Amino acid sequence: MTLLSVRDLCVTLETPEGPAPILEDVGFDLAAGGSLGLVGESGCGKSMTALAVMGLLPERAVATGEIVFEGCNLLALPEGALCKLRGRRLAMVFQEPMTALNPVKTIGAQVAEGLRWHLGLGRGEAEARAVKLLDRVGVPRPRFAPGLYPHQLSGGQRQRVVIAMALACDPALLIADEPTTALDVTSQAAILDLLAEVAAEAGLALLLITHDLAVVWQNTRSMIVMYAGRVVERGGTHEVFARMAHPYSRGLFAASPGALDAVLPPGRRLAAIPGLVPDPLHRPAGCVFAGRCPRAAADCLPAQPAERRLAPGHAVACLHPHLEATPA
Amino acid sequence: MPGDIGPGEALAPAWREYWMRGRSSAGFVIGLAVTALLVAVALVSLVWTPYQVDVMDIPVKLQAPSAAHWLGTDQFGRDVLSRLMAGAVNSIAVSLVAVGIGAGLGVPLGALAAARRGIIEEVVMRFNDFTFAFPALLSAVMITAILGPGAVNSIIAIGIFNIPVFARLTRGASLSLWQRDFVLAARVAGKGRTRITAEHILPNIASLLIVQMTIQFALAILAEAGLSYLGLGTQPPAPSWGKMLNEAQTLMYLAPQLAIFPGLAIMGTVLGLNLLGDGLRDLLDPRLRRLR
Amino acid sequence: MAVFLLQRLAAFIVTLLVASLVVFLVMEVLPGDPAALMLGVSARPDTLAALRSEMGLDLPAAQRYLLWLGGLVSGDLGTSYTYGVPVWELVRERIGLSLPLALIAICLSTLIAIPLGVLAAARHNKPADVGVMGFTQLGVAVPNFWFAILLILVFAVHWQVLPAGGFAGWDAGFWPALKTLLLPAVALALPQAAILARVTRSSVLETLGEDYVRTARAKGLTRRAALWRHALRNALIPVVTIMGLQFSFLLAGTIIIENVFYLPGLGRLIFQAIAQRDLIVVKDLVILLAASVVAVNFIVDLLYAVLDPRLRGGGHAG
Ligand SMILES: Nc1ncnc2c1ncn2[C@@H]1O[C@H](COP(=O)(O)OP(=O)(O)OP(=O)(O)O)[C@@H](O)[C@H]1O
Ligand code: SF4
Ligand SMILES: [Mg+2]
Repeated sequence: MTLLSVRDLCVTLETPEGPAPILEDVGFDLAAGGSLGLVGESGCGKSMTALAVMGLLPERAVATGEIVFEGCNLLALPEGALCKLRGRRLAMVFQEPMTALNPVKTIGAQVAEGLRWHLGLGRGEAEARAVKLLDRVGVPRPRFAPGLYPHQLSGGQRQRVVIAMALACDPALLIADEPTTALDVTSQAAILDLLAEVAAEAGLALLLITHDLAVVWQNTRSMIVMYAGRVVERGGTHEVFARMAHPYSRGLFAASPGALDAVLPPGRRLAAIPGLVPDPLHRPAGCVFAGRCPRAAADCLPAQPAERRLAPGHAVACLHPHLEATPA
Repeated sequence: MPGDIGPGEALAPAWREYWMRGRSSAGFVIGLAVTALLVAVALVSLVWTPYQVDVMDIPVKLQAPSAAHWLGTDQFGRDVLSRLMAGAVNSIAVSLVAVGIGAGLGVPLGALAAARRGIIEEVVMRFNDFTFAFPALLSAVMITAILGPGAVNSIIAIGIFNIPVFARLTRGASLSLWQRDFVLAARVAGKGRTRITAEHILPNIASLLIVQMTIQFALAILAEAGLSYLGLGTQPPAPSWGKMLNEAQTLMYLAPQLAIFPGLAIMGTVLGLNLLGDGLRDLLDPRLRRLR
Repeated sequence: MAVFLLQRLAAFIVTLLVASLVVFLVMEVLPGDPAALMLGVSARPDTLAALRSEMGLDLPAAQRYLLWLGGLVSGDLGTSYTYGVPVWELVRERIGLSLPLALIAICLSTLIAIPLGVLAAARHNKPADVGVMGFTQLGVAVPNFWFAILLILVFAVHWQVLPAGGFAGWDAGFWPALKTLLLPAVALALPQAAILARVTRSSVLETLGEDYVRTARAKGLTRRAALWRHALRNALIPVVTIMGLQFSFLLAGTIIIENVFYLPGLGRLIFQAIAQRDLIVVKDLVILLAASVVAVNFIVDLLYAVLDPRLRGGGHAG
């Protein structure tokens, strides 16, 4: 059953130089209890996609299209109704654990806040549940009293608290926006394991944003690759890894450091992609990747390439995709 | 705030560009217009005023505004408009020199503290902290009490409490510049601290200082008015806005309008200068510019 | 925390010592012989000399400084030359006016400024925001003594509902006394409120952009709830700093406002003492004022610790 279905999502940001198209025709589906990886270079619009789903886009942004969650279009919902969903059915874990927690409130109170807000629990009951949640995410009492303040915890511990907050009201969808980027390598693995564990346990769907392909490989069943505000390739994680049909995907895979050695045998990797991402105000009419693409041809320039199905559930937006399997 | 200013940005200010953008900010335009008007009025009053400023004409005393006396007359029959115009000269002169003293001594002190660090910086900054414990007006009252009341002494008093403001600002802004690559490069190239200060530091904080001077100028106008009101500033019969308000207060039941115009003049001037300062800050501060 | 407090206390004492030295030196420069001033121009030289030695004026400067300092510490502020009464008594009489006046003004400006600043931030770039910013521009530009005169014109001359000046004294009852302090307090509060409202606005705007506010919104809190529960307390930290710094401006304001309203308070006392070369009163009052400014900023430091747990100490857990 489809839990989240995004169709033709466009996000435009008002800037002094004019409206900048940040996202163009983004679409994907996520089944209940499923997992979807979202990869792409920095600035390609991953966080914007997540914020659009949460309804937390910056004020100057305008979103069009459809974001259907549990049967209703979030973009058409009034703010009040969105507030009832956020934190209750939809939850999010942010990139920066150091700043995501309020420095003047105790971690116990911050975890309990959602319970009190959505479920109307009393202080005592909410705090008792908060202690259990903190226990579950690996910030157990008595070593970590719920009366601690965020500055008394390390980055990894704080991220665990943020995860506890997100899990508090049993959401159906958890969006994790680069949850480990700011952490050291050991905490990274632990936090990802924790996320996968709790997602499986609670049967919640996971939308995992990252630029680490190994993370996608290990944690998600399907994935999408984004470039300059567009989805360029989508499919089951195994299919996409096996084919890497879009030239950008191949470039990305090659640019990804060491972690992929298990997947990609050494010596068979492409060079890092030369060139820069076109900025949202000056995107070309044709394929956005044309300027950096080694396979670009004359027909790539006049219009955006339409999406082309390669296999059931695997599609690519490219006129000359790699059809052979990943060199192995 | 000490801005994060890159090399060259302030070294080659695109004045044309500033002007184009400045025109689109209402506050900046109003501030500039009011300030220009004030200066124009002051300059005109040097050569012409509707009536002679100090000539008394008792038969027409305490008149309400009329065609002959646009803003009425005071208790000696002197024309209020003429006195306001001459008062503008007084306010501008006192404030200009006072801010000049403050910046002239404060900027070198702050630059020195940033360039030398160590004990010099300690002394300068501790002295700064200390002056903050004293209400500025109290210091001014004390200084004029020592030196005696008068325009020159109020200039000194206001100037003195402007010194720490500029010293603090200059030090803060310079310190971050001293860590920047282009300054480090200049040091590696063997340039002396004084030369670096003159060539790299000061040009880069110039816009910051200009903004602060505008704001301090507005504060100085207020301070001068306050001192004159207390009888410590410009002495009669020389016209000053603060003194006019003091005299008007005793006549409040007879001629309330006398208490209106000088106050409006002070308020308008300060408002104009503050708007100008805010507008300049928005235009010149590259940090804000990037946010737009 | 204890270390922090001790450090602040030491800085407090050093600042006051330096202040006392500066004030003493400044007063040394002040022209006019207090003894001659007390006796008048026709005094005989030997009477003058006798008075000078009785007042301790013939002692070396260093000794006089130490004597004065010792007096301050032991609570003996000396005797006023012009009033002939202990300075302490003068202060006690007038502090009953100046302290309530300052407190009312601070309360007024806080009560006006913080809601206005929060409102402006919550309605950023909307009409309410523009209105509040306009008010603050005016409030900063209006000279407080002129605003006081306007208040007198409206409330005392035109409507005649409040007195134009003077102080009824607390003996006259609470309300009559309060009525005489109302206009002065409003005049003192206005420019402070304008500055404070601006600081509050920009501080709240800044905190509203913080990650934890977004986290709170992601939890489902409405914009308003996120502002009140998460942004406000963090935003108040810089606001409190400014309030501490403003205290010094408030004292300066009292000098001028007490003159506008003919209020017998500390501000007017110091003003008159300077005019009359009543050195001992000036010295004592300046130190008292400086001490109160430093003390207020000390209290602000304590308030920080209440608002911000990061300053309360307590290291890493685990
Ligand atoms: N507040 C903003 N103002 C202007 N442009 C913005 C703003 N926020 C994001 N953008 C632009 O939107 C685009 C997408 O940004 P987004 O944060 O979604 O990227 P991202 O894929 O999450 O990158 P990263 O991996 O660095 O987190 C970028 O080009 C960025 O420049
Ligand atoms: S459409 Fe053409 S330019 Fe674009 S990715 Fe495919 S081959 Fe390259
Ligand atoms: Mg991001």
